[in-house]
Amino acid sequence: MAAQGTHEVQPLADLESHSDRAWNLAWNPKHPLIASCSADKTVRLSSYASSSGNTLSFKSNQTIQTEHLKTVRAVAWSPSGKTLATASFDSNVGIWEQEQDEDEDDEDGDVDMAGQKGLGNGEWECIGTLEGHETECKSVAYSSTGTLLASCSRDKSVWIWEVQPDAEFECMGVLLEHSQDVKCVAWHPHEEILASGSYDDTIKLYVDDPSDDWYCFTTLKGHESTVWSIAWSPCGRYLASASDDKTVRIWAYAAAASDGGADSKNKVLQVKPPSVISSSQGDGRWVQVAVLDSHERSVYSVSWGKGNNGSGLGWLASAGGDGTIRVWDVQESEDSSIALNPKLIASYPEAHGVFDVNCVSWNPRAGMEDVFATAADDGSVKIWRINPSKEAGSD
Amino acid sequence: MSSELFNANPTVFSSTKSTSSRITEHSAQSLWLRDQNDNSDTESEGNEVEEIDQDEIFDLIRTIYDPEHPNTLEELRVVSAPQITVGRNHIKVEFTPTVPHCGMSTLIGLSIRVRLLRSLPTRYKVDIYVKPGSHQSELSVNKQLNDKERVAAALENPPLVDTVEKCLAKPSPVAFQLV
Repeated sequence: MAAQGTHEVQPLADLESHSDRAWNLAWNPKHPLIASCSADKTVRLSSYASSSGNTLSFKSNQTIQTEHLKTVRAVAWSPSGKTLATASFDSNVGIWEQEQDEDEDDEDGDVDMAGQKGLGNGEWECIGTLEGHETECKSVAYSSTGTLLASCSRDKSVWIWEVQPDAEFECMGVLLEHSQDVKCVAWHPHEEILASGSYDDTIKLYVDDPSDDWYCFTTLKGHESTVWSIAWSPCGRYLASASDDKTVRIWAYAAAASDGGADSKNKVLQVKPPSVISSSQGDGRWVQVAVLDSHERSVYSVSWGKGNNGSGLGWLASAGGDGTIRVWDVQESEDSSIALNPKLIASYPEAHGVFDVNCVSWNPRAGMEDVFATAADDGSVKIWRINPSKEAGSD
Repeated sequence: MSSELFNANPTVFSSTKSTSSRITEHSAQSLWLRDQNDNSDTESEGNEVEEIDQDEIFDLIRTIYDPEHPNTLEELRVVSAPQITVGRNHIKVEFTPTVPHCGMSTLIGLSIRVRLLRSLPTRYKVDIYVKPGSHQSELSVNKQLNDKERVAAALENPPLVDTVEKCLAKPSPVAFQLV
């Protein structure tokens, strides 16, 4: 087994494969359900249940034949878990909800799902299509409250939509800040701050000016090539990014400690929670606090989970063209430095054989913090768990 | 496509016979079939992977047509065997645009990528670059050619795929002699 570090990656399940490249996946935040999407234009849903002890059993639930005309590049759940958004190369965003399951005669005898509302066998239906992008839509994300949706495209734009009742969406802003293809969008876990990563090698952060429009308040520069994926830390004070330059970087909003003189070069910086107010007032700045450079090819995905060790900033998982999954434990420095030194606690080479891993994603549900999923170029989707190494023990 | 050619009078060189011992110039299709067999052999027999060499890769891409001339990439010296590097499960192809402002470079690179995608076992990762110093937008061309998402999207664009297919249309032996 490819164990390295204090933990090891354990394969838990192989989900039913897509018939073409699997690009992205998303765990439902409320229900035991995972969605994956593919160049085969479908979204596959699988449900899961805890069986005896430490195991999870997965079952194919439904395949949505989306109405998208091209690759479904990304999927995202609303925080309620009731709505699924799809981003497609056909330039549209699809919004999907499950038809109420009127027929209670469940021919499958789906006992696993007993008591899980909204998870019967009702069909997932397209309740809306957001049109606006001119070329391939590449990523979509719901804000933490579910009231806003962001999407991005090769047309260099980021769109912010307000989610209204009855599947209505109103465009709140079109942000044309990037000079190239926008690859990914990610909302802060509890503030209305949006991040986007681009083919122009930068990351941009946006907030809403209550008296005006959404605007970009800072640009994070450091990556030497395309930013493929971004993920906020669960606490919201850090942002991780994965790039074609083979690195994963971590960024934080830092402001001078109160005793730092304004003219002092030795001002002590402290990482502060980025709030909409502090961001727009500009009393600090975003800085790069870590560079992880062990991947051998492009890093296509990064996901930041809480981890289950109860301390620190959680676990960061990264994966990409070299096929190796890497898991990092992130702890804040004990001295006053704001630099982070994430520790590689586990890695798993050839996670999908010879194929690129396009997405890695931690399960966000309580009690599932050690479970993550990956999707790959051959259409396969796999589920994994992080366990303490038997030899090394935990920590 | 611009009505004006990027390079109206390219130098045309004569092509050589296939240098590969295992592939003749009219057998790209059989290479595909044979590699399919190799794959199944690999699955059944474990680690016996047949290595592919520089000349075999060259044979796959030499007959690709230039998008704006009735010549192959070999005849225009856009590709050559020494510009191909073969590693374990990794292939790097460098090509030389005929002129430094060649607007067709991404299309040529895409055609090379598609030909290799269709011909090689899936275990190969392919990187494609223009020869350093040979193109005024070298970084931008390289970046686009190696962005898998943009390549994937390009291959869902029917007019672009049609153009690539024309570049990949294999010359019949007669046509081959005519050019």
